[in-house]
Amino acid sequence: MKPNRKMIIVFLVPALLCYLIVFLYPSIRTFIMSFFNVAGLSDSVTTWTFAGFGNYKTIFHDRMFQQSMKNICKIWLYGGLGVMLISLVFAVGLTSGMKGFKFFRSVIYLPNVISAVAMATMWIYYVYNSDYGFFHKFLAFFGFTKASQILWTGPAHLFSSMLVAYCFGMVGYHMLIFISGIEQIPVSYHEAAKIEGANVVQRFFYITLPFLKGTVRTNIVMWTIFTVGYFVWGQMFSPDNLSNQTVAPMNYMYELVFGASSPARTVRNSGAGAAIGIVMMVMVLIAFGLTNLLVRKDDIEL
Amino acid sequence: MNKFHFTIKKNQIKLIPAYIIVIAWVLFTFILIAWVVFASFSTSAEMFSDHMFAFKTGFHFENYATAWKTQKVSIYFMNSIMYTLVSCAAIILIATPASYVLSRFRFKGNTLAQNLFISSLGIPAIMIIMPLFSVVSQLHLLNNRWLLIFLYTSMQVPFTIFFMYPSFKNLSKTYEEAAAIDGCSPIGTYWRIMFPLIQPGLITVMIFNFIDIWNEYFMSLVFANKTSVRPVAVGLFNMIESMRYTGNWGGMFASVVIVFLPTFILYLFLSKRIINGITAGAIKG
Repeated sequence: MKPNRKMIIVFLVPALLCYLIVFLYPSIRTFIMSFFNVAGLSDSVTTWTFAGFGNYKTIFHDRMFQQSMKNICKIWLYGGLGVMLISLVFAVGLTSGMKGFKFFRSVIYLPNVISAVAMATMWIYYVYNSDYGFFHKFLAFFGFTKASQILWTGPAHLFSSMLVAYCFGMVGYHMLIFISGIEQIPVSYHEAAKIEGANVVQRFFYITLPFLKGTVRTNIVMWTIFTVGYFVWGQMFSPDNLSNQTVAPMNYMYELVFGASSPARTVRNSGAGAAIGIVMMVMVLIAFGLTNLLVRKDDIEL
Repeated sequence: MNKFHFTIKKNQIKLIPAYIIVIAWVLFTFILIAWVVFASFSTSAEMFSDHMFAFKTGFHFENYATAWKTQKVSIYFMNSIMYTLVSCAAIILIATPASYVLSRFRFKGNTLAQNLFISSLGIPAIMIIMPLFSVVSQLHLLNNRWLLIFLYTSMQVPFTIFFMYPSFKNLSKTYEEAAAIDGCSPIGTYWRIMFPLIQPGLITVMIFNFIDIWNEYFMSLVFANKTSVRPVAVGLFNMIESMRYTGNWGGMFASVVIVFLPTFILYLFLSKRIINGITAGAIKG
């Protein structure tokens, strides 16, 4: 059919405008801002002074930023390993003929549709509560009196408690991605391997896993994007002030630029905030680039 | 799902460990939600007593009244309903036509436009929030409802275009050819003939958009800092903060229930669509 120029313009321009205003222009401006000394966000551009890599130096020498980077690296690595492992086990288990497959799958995904604020509240004020909480009652019931006394949201365990609560909700999403990958594997491969006498474990490592490369890539990229946007859980677990255990770069940026919770911080540094934004963007790009290599080497294409 | 298993019974025995962990996980999810629902009818004093769910003082429906009126959940809830519905309608108007022309017409810049939209799926909020805030504060649009709707809409447009792309691609070209012969304008053809044909995909993507906008937190935190314009996610955070100090835990859990109920009910009825939608998206990605 002939392209109709007028129609293309009318149909495409509103969407492009949304993209330009909300994504493209702000991204470019954040990039530029990260090389300038900018105090407040509403300061006029004429007050900006060139800083070179000054903002990047500032943040990488800042103890709180270092801590926040450490935290999200731990979230990415430990949380990522845990979530990927559990969701892969669930996906493989559910697709190998479990009864109630659809029901289990739906319930495991459920936390993803509930507001993170509501989920975090359930964890903090119920599961981790030291008087009537789930862990307290559960451990006390089985006689682990000492373990039942643990203050899960106390400073000693705050980070791991937050990570567990966060990961619990993420498993469902990544499990669904794995399931969709597994369901695409042609049944004939498994049948042929079975006739040749391959057992479950061999079939998993020699058929399922090689076929899941693309799926693993999707999962890693998505996990990185989610980790970079880590904010609500940190704020929920330390609502009053930034704390070493829960701070993520986005929480720190919010504090630095919007001067959120602490009255002690009167100086705002938007240039440094922008630099944090760029560092986060670079992390997504690295994850994207590295996982592309993983798939390019792939000789089995579905 | 027993495609490649010869003996079902033997297979089920092998799957017992998988059953145990999956059932434990599912049970925990149920306990979590059921407990919060029960607690929302209870009182702080009962929660800390030994007989917490005996409901000796009856069901405390007033927790909901307190949350709804005193804690202003009604305002947040109505705001969120309005933002979500208006944004969803705007997304349909803006994203589906774009997706249609990108999937069906070859023209200069088509691939570029597609790549631009796809790239935005990887741009984190932290990259865009600061310049948006400067522009918004210069235009004096902070705490403006229409600004929030514009932001929610624009954030979801690229995803919706991307999601709807295959739906349009799979439609036969004969529809447009027949419409052209009958003298229907291209734009009219789109809204009258093509648009109704993509309903199944559209419903799925709109459920995602509904859930995403309902639960959106960061943008709302920055751009809506007045009670009267706050949506539920940010409102809930503020309520929890205030109830933590007043010690009204029953009311706190009641507000949690009110906030998660809409998306929860949606999921109860439409979980199959939602799950198929994610699966379809994953294959493309």
